[in-house]
This record gives sequence, structure tokens and C-alpha cells, in this order.
Amino acid sequence: MAGGGGGLSKPERAKRGKHSKRKKKKRIGFHLDMTPLVDITFLLLTFFMFTTTMLKPQIMEMRIPPERYEKVEVRESELFSILLMPDNKIYWYAGMAKPDNLPEEIPLNKLRALAEQQNLKPNVRNRLITVLKIADQAKYDKVVQILDELNLAEINITDQLSKDLDADGQPVKRQRKFTIAPLSENDDDFKLIQGVK
Amino acid sequence: MPKVRKKRMGFVIDMTPLVDITFLLLTFLMFTAKFKSEAENEQQFTIKRPYATPDTTKLPERDLAVISVAIDDKNPLDTSFYFSLTNINDKEKVWELAEVPAEFSNVSLVKVDSLMLSKLIRSTLAVRNTTKFALDADKEIPFKWISQAMDIMRLQRAFVFNFVTEKRKAGE
Repeated sequence: MAGGGGGLSKPERAKRGKHSKRKKKKRIGFHLDMTPLVDITFLLLTFFMFTTTMLKPQIMEMRIPPERYEKVEVRESELFSILLMPDNKIYWYAGMAKPDNLPEEIPLNKLRALAEQQNLKPNVRNRLITVLKIADQAKYDKVVQILDELNLAEINITDQLSKDLDADGQPVKRQRKFTIAPLSENDDDFKLIQGVK
Repeated sequence: MPKVRKKRMGFVIDMTPLVDITFLLLTFLMFTAKFKSEAENEQQFTIKRPYATPDTTKLPERDLAVISVAIDDKNPLDTSFYFSLTNINDKEKVWELAEVPAEFSNVSLVKVDSLMLSKLIRSTLAVRNTTKFALDADKEIPFKWISQAMDIMRLQRAFVFNFVTEKRKAGE
């Protein structure tokens, strides 16, 4: 400490008196014993450090359309279906499921590449409708993982599409068409998968 | 006269920079600390959220209605919907409007069936139509529950909502 020499904390007091020959020290500032302060501060600091959780849960936004009763006609070729079975296995098919177009099983980590490839196929580019059919018994965890993979695929798809130019010379905007539907045991595709096993 | 040597007692360290930093950290942590809300305190379950890719969107804190789907800790067969509101002022009005049974009038987190849930969602939107909805479900919940909650929200015209997720670590 500057100008120290007064033992631990108390600064030396110069004697006052006529005969004091000691040079008077010029006082610059003062000393404060900070030890208790530091003690308490550290205590509080460690408390807050251990109790705070920095990780806040995050969100995945969903928008659902209002109920509509009129039928919408879609082209068979523009459909891309992903099925989540009760045993949490993922199957997919393009178009309609038929005995000659059987749903195929796909691991979760290949789903992103598949979605990109399907969405960028030249004949259905930017028109593909992704249908996610989920069985009642499937785990929510899987559903979120599939949605996440599809969202990630979207980055690349949007990027690829923006390289195309529309009639006005503007980059093409991605139009995402997506639907979630329940998968029931009476559905044709469900039966077909059961047949495959 | 020889100078009398002072006996050295210990030593002195300048603690000022240390204290500076410590206080800085302390104030930071104090301001960022968020304490458990009442609803969180009442809950009898822990939710293991599904993982999703890190995103910049975080769960909003104000005017949020959380629909939790959770498995009771003590009774694993007891899966149910729970409803809570972050806005305490709205809570009373909503509870009144939805005719929540008197024994639940003081709780922030109510266990609800699908009928009560739809009533609560409708009342929430009637009280404040900018309220955001979040669906906070456990990983292990069958999708049936989620689709039911989504249907209820759709019928009550809550078309935008959020799935609450946890950050997915790289490589998972």
C-alpha cells in the first residue's frame, strides 16, 4: 500500500508536539480494511453463481391455420409425406402410398438431406407440400426433432431457391407448405407399412 | 539514536481491484437472477423438454400463458394438462371468467381437463388478446396430448403458439 508502514491497518500517527523531530508525513487518502467487505461480497457472489441458471428455455414457433371445411385439391405429385409410427420409426413416401410406391424407413439424421432433395426436385420446386402424419402414440420428443430437422432443411432450400429468378428478375421467395395430420391405423399408408414389416 | 525497527506484522495486499471485479460480477448476477415463480413453486412435476437447434428466440416472460403437459412425479400414470399465467393481474380475471373452482382460486398452476383448458384459453384471450401461448410438454408425452392441445387452441382461435424446447447441443 502506498505510504504503508503502519502495521496491518492503522496508519501511523505522527506525534504532535513542539519537540517532535519526526518529519510529518503528508497524508494522502486513507486506508480502509476491506477484508470483511470482500468476505461478504464473495459469499454473495458464490451464492448467486451457484443459484443462477443462465440457460433459458427457448421456443419453436408454430402457426396453425383456422379450421376450414372446404376441400383443397392438391396434385399427387406435389405431396411429400413423412410418417411417424407408434414405435417412433420414421417412414416417408412421395405422392401417394401404393403397393408399388411403398413407404420407406428413414433414420432421423438423414431426414434433412431428404427434405432438401425432395423440395428442390425440378418438377415440384417450391410447390411441394410436406405432410407430417403422426401416430397418437408417438413421442412428442420425436415430433419436435422431426420439425427441427425440417426447419434446418429450410435454410438450404431457401438459399437454393433465392438463386433462381422469377419473371420480374427477383429472387424466388420460398413458399413453405406444411401440414400436420394424425396417423390412424386405418390409413392406407399405415397398413402398407404394417405389410412391409 | 538508531532507528527502532518496527516489527513487521503480516503484509498488506491492495484489494481494490479484486473488490472491483467481485462487485461487478455480483451486481451482474444479482440483476440477472430470476427467482422461481409461484407457478413453478407449486408444480408437482419436472418437465424434461425436447431438444431443438439453438435459436435466438427465447421464451417471452410477459403475458404468457403456459400449457404444460406433464407426468406427475409421484404418480407416473397421472398425465395431465396444467395451465398457468405469468401476468398476475390478469390471472384473477381469467380465473373468474373461466369459473375455476373455488379451491383453485389461489393457485397459479391449475390442473385442468380438456374442457377447463378450452375455457381458460378462451377467457385468457378475452382478458388480453395479445397473450402468447406456450406448450410445454415432457419429451415422453405421447403425441395424442399435443394434438389435443393444438385442437383446443385452434378452436379457441389461438393460432400462434410456441413449443418450449431446450437447446440442442452440437452433434446430437
